[in-house]
Amino acid sequence: MNQRENFARRFARSKSGMLGLIGVAIIVLAGLAAPLLARSPAGYSRDILLGPSAAHLLGTDNLGLDIGLEILWGARTSLYVSAVAVLISVGIGVPLGLVSGYSRSWVGETLDAAVDIFLTLPILPLMIIMAAIMGTSITNVALVIGLFSWPQLAKVCKNATLKISGMQYIEAAVCLGYSRGRILLHHVLRNITGPVLVNITLIMANSVLAESSLSFLGLGDPTAWSWGTILKRAWGNNAVINNPNPWWWWLAPSVCIIVFVVCFNMLGTAINDLLSPKTQA
Amino acid sequence: MRRYLLGRAARSLLTIFISVTLTFFIVRAMPSNPVELLINPYMSQETQDMLMQKYGLDKPLAVQYALFLKGLLQGDLGVSFSSRQPVAQVLLQKLPWTLLLIAIVMALVLGIGIPTGLLAARRRGKLADQVINVLVTLGISIFIPFLSFMFLYIFSYLLKVLPTGGAYTPPKPHGLTYVLDVARHAILPAATLAITNLANVVLYTRNSTLDVLGEDYVRTARAKGASPKRAMRVHVLRNAMIPTVTVVGLQVGVMVGGAVVTETIFAWPGIGRMLFEAIGALDYPILQGGFLLLSVSVVTMNFITDMLVGWLDPRIRLGGGRP
Repeated sequence: MNQRENFARRFARSKSGMLGLIGVAIIVLAGLAAPLLARSPAGYSRDILLGPSAAHLLGTDNLGLDIGLEILWGARTSLYVSAVAVLISVGIGVPLGLVSGYSRSWVGETLDAAVDIFLTLPILPLMIIMAAIMGTSITNVALVIGLFSWPQLAKVCKNATLKISGMQYIEAAVCLGYSRGRILLHHVLRNITGPVLVNITLIMANSVLAESSLSFLGLGDPTAWSWGTILKRAWGNNAVINNPNPWWWWLAPSVCIIVFVVCFNMLGTAINDLLSPKTQA
Repeated sequence: MRRYLLGRAARSLLTIFISVTLTFFIVRAMPSNPVELLINPYMSQETQDMLMQKYGLDKPLAVQYALFLKGLLQGDLGVSFSSRQPVAQVLLQKLPWTLLLIAIVMALVLGIGIPTGLLAARRRGKLADQVINVLVTLGISIFIPFLSFMFLYIFSYLLKVLPTGGAYTPPKPHGLTYVLDVARHAILPAATLAITNLANVVLYTRNSTLDVLGEDYVRTARAKGASPKRAMRVHVLRNAMIPTVTVVGLQVGVMVGGAVVTETIFAWPGIGRMLFEAIGALDYPILQGGFLLLSVSVVTMNFITDMLVGWLDPRIRLGGGRP
């Protein structure tokens, strides 16, 4: 049996991994299919602050917008932002990690020190400044999150590369006279996909948290539907402490954010457990 | 030890320098630069020129950067666009509140996180460990507004036992009542921020304790007759703390980011709330100064944890080994 099949079979046996995978699949499908499933929550209606009912599954807010629809369309924003963030951080983090892990010269040392410095900076405040200055559009938010999500990936990639580059087959490849680029791409990169994959699930989860936080602080795109923006409006209208309490308004989007993040984290943990030699039978 | 400390201090300074440079260029290189924001198109040309000159905005970027660094060294962070107060003065008013919050959170995180991690490691695979594992997975996924909303809903709306926001009930009371009042207001924000940061500390304490428990020297200690308690206290704890302390250091950056959201929700009058208000007013000097102050605090905290790690781990302070 080849290794990949074996991995898939062991993954299917991990309960939390499958739960995470199913959750992620549902969110992705819902986000992709949102335009087919329902109209976008447009226009204001007279149904203000109604509780969950058959007409409005998750109730309405103070403008009469259907919260269930807002959440469904918000999933698209979250997925878009996290996908862009992952692309950018893979684009920056993986090459940096490969070079700093493989290079034995000052280049590697310098890159490593730079990554360490970026890891210590308070990232959310930095994102806030950048998002405030770039202006609120969903692409800007995605760019900002991507631009500051790579350090962790670079670190993980570097540590994995360091381990692989000590292996004998790398030594063999060097002896065969392969170029550095070829060794890095064909021999090192293919063998560090595991840790990189785990870190990507973490970045997905964290960028949704970052996007929701930025939107919550008023740095989101006012024209896009976003879970953080719903929370911002709920909070701005004192929905949490008002009497009578429109609990569906603040609870539903929060639960969505948590579920999204938990699913991606469970997926990551399951992959990580399968990859670490300690748990392998 | 000295070489190690000097190296760490140099890196701290470099980190601060990089955050200074980053903010300078982010603020100036972006499409809507502060020049356009400061200058109202209805002003006369002379007023515009005068303002440009006053803030040094007519000079080339490199000169502006040099002037900015010079001002920074003299403690001059510029003037807030909205309140016209010097930024440094505004920051000094807000800083104690954030420091108070972070100190309470740190005490909670270490005081609860380390014992919980040790418990999970000692009961590995048993019920307590499994429960803690589930809580940790939830903890690393928590979204601060959600947790704050739950707390506000339960304690302020349903039970009506805790205040919804602010740091004290105006008018400002005096003496002991003031202290108690601030403490009452600090409970919810501190609990929120502590819970979001607990998970990582528990996880690292648990895993590093498990690693150390498997070491030969722990078995040796038990074999020569040390009680399990003594082996834990003398041989395991110190070595298990090294990764935990490193993680707490790295966590400070995240914690400070969380403080921005937490302070905003609970109207806690610290740096985080100030940043939130500055976003609405597009007050760039305040945003820039606030970020710099947060970076400096994070770097300082990291330096302290580096020293702690050096003290815990002789390999680091004596040899060239890297943590």
